[in-house]
Amino acid sequence: MGQTEAIIELESVSMAFVTRPRGGSHRALLALDNVSARIERGSFVTLVGPSGCGKSTILKLVAGLLRPTAGRVLYKGRPVQAVNTDVGFVTQDDNLLPWRNLLENVQLALELRGVPRPQREQRALELIERVGLKGFEHHYPHELSGGMRKRASIIRTLVYDPDVLLMDEPFGPLDAQTRMVLQDELLRLWQGSGKTILFVTHDLVESVALSDRILVFSRAPGRILKEYVVDIPRPRDVFHIHEAPNFNRIFDSLWNDIRGQLLEQRFRARAEEASA
Amino acid sequence: MSTLPQTAAPGMLQAGAQPAAGAAARRLLEEVEQAAARAERRRRRRVAASRLALVLVLLAGWELASGRLIDIFFVSRPSAIMEALWRLLMKENLLYHLQFTVLEAVLGYVAGAALGMAAGFVLARSDLLYATVQPLLAAFYGIPRIALAPLIIMWFGIGLNSKVVVAALMVFFIVLMNTIAGVRNVHPELIQIARVMGASERQILQKIVIPGAAPIIITGLQTAVPQAMIGAIVGEFISSNRGVGHVIGRAAGWFDTPGLFAGIVALLAVVLAMNGLVNLLEARAARWKGGAGLSQPS
Repeated sequence: MGQTEAIIELESVSMAFVTRPRGGSHRALLALDNVSARIERGSFVTLVGPSGCGKSTILKLVAGLLRPTAGRVLYKGRPVQAVNTDVGFVTQDDNLLPWRNLLENVQLALELRGVPRPQREQRALELIERVGLKGFEHHYPHELSGGMRKRASIIRTLVYDPDVLLMDEPFGPLDAQTRMVLQDELLRLWQGSGKTILFVTHDLVESVALSDRILVFSRAPGRILKEYVVDIPRPRDVFHIHEAPNFNRIFDSLWNDIRGQLLEQRFRARAEEASA
Repeated sequence: MSTLPQTAAPGMLQAGAQPAAGAAARRLLEEVEQAAARAERRRRRRVAASRLALVLVLLAGWELASGRLIDIFFVSRPSAIMEALWRLLMKENLLYHLQFTVLEAVLGYVAGAALGMAAGFVLARSDLLYATVQPLLAAFYGIPRIALAPLIIMWFGIGLNSKVVVAALMVFFIVLMNTIAGVRNVHPELIQIARVMGASERQILQKIVIPGAAPIIITGLQTAVPQAMIGAIVGEFISSNRGVGHVIGRAAGWFDTPGLFAGIVALLAVVLAMNGLVNLLEARAARWKGGAGLSQPS
């Protein structure tokens, strides 16, 4: 085929959620509408789109935390039918266990997998040092800053060496500087690791700075509108990504797509208001 | 709780943890830390002194008012109560009675708390079961459980068992409700993430649900301590021939107000001691929680 191997494939995936307004009857809402995509092994792919377009749902489908209403989700060529423990999930909230200190938090996955204490401690300490958290091993999450907690939540996922990282707006709650520093660190951690990253974000600059490919989603129900290949050479400098030759072209085009979706959304809402 | 008056934001300089800080800066930080520790010690001493003063003023007021402003028959007075307490201790075997009351309360507490936690974990993890028994629980929770005491004495006799059961019943519902609330309060994302990390159901319970629910459960365990005592005492009031409840009931029967208050003072001492033990447990379990006044880092 001449193409690199796909590690994740979505085949005509639709996802409906059932809601029940107070006193009303059940209503099914379509979050994803016939989405097909393939994610190559080792690539960094970003999902962007308006809020509520089902980007996070895709991550949960790949992690096996949800089952598609229709279609198939394949992981390494096989349908995902149970929780996928081959991936790592990094959420928007850092979700560290508040009753465990940093070292214990980073070790959690290895502990769950029965790795003996000396090995798991050594592995955790390596990663802690690598992201500059040395000296904070015995601090509890509430004693760490937002950026430190985010680093911790990334390395506690890397600690068990998953093939795929699913990241759901991981840098959303951070301030602008910390966010850039962490984007840079993420690229360094990822570069040469061979890992695949599926990354959800609202931030268009972030999507261009980080990824190989960007999938643009429509407003709900989510469909893939467009796909961009980001041909900015690596290693990239996230601090000066604006100066990269293709940056403006991709960014403007992305922004046009998203703006179109936002306008349509607003137009729809007005039309519904008027008809009601 | 030993929190410094100024809490540092995470990642800020701390005298001990920042090798990069210059010697002068480090000395300055050490001075600030020492001053803060001194201020804290001073504040604690002041609180202790004012508490003692408050108790002394109340006792002195009581002593002076009784017989002058209020009929001594109804309120007795501290000195008479101390005498009565002494008499109870030396001549009437207060410790013997106390020992039964404490035994009943402790056994009831342990049984009620253990059953409450076990039932709480089972109920909170099964939607069907919870939906099934929830109305029943709400109904039982609504009954003043003291009202069941006579029935329980009828069932279990006037001995130790009936008081243990009454105390356990008082404790059971509080711990049960708090356990359910605690388990439901565990963030579902924590559980999902643990699943993706490869946790089994048993590991999720052990490593995520139980520690996550612990703060609310411990609050329930604390609330339940005096309740166990109440259960034991009420059981003794209704029918028994030993225990502090019996001593108080007998004193009331003889219109022996000092004796009655002396019994209450003895109970107060026991409840304070039990509370102290549970607080110790909480301090150990909740080391990871931020102290009061901790700024929420963003």
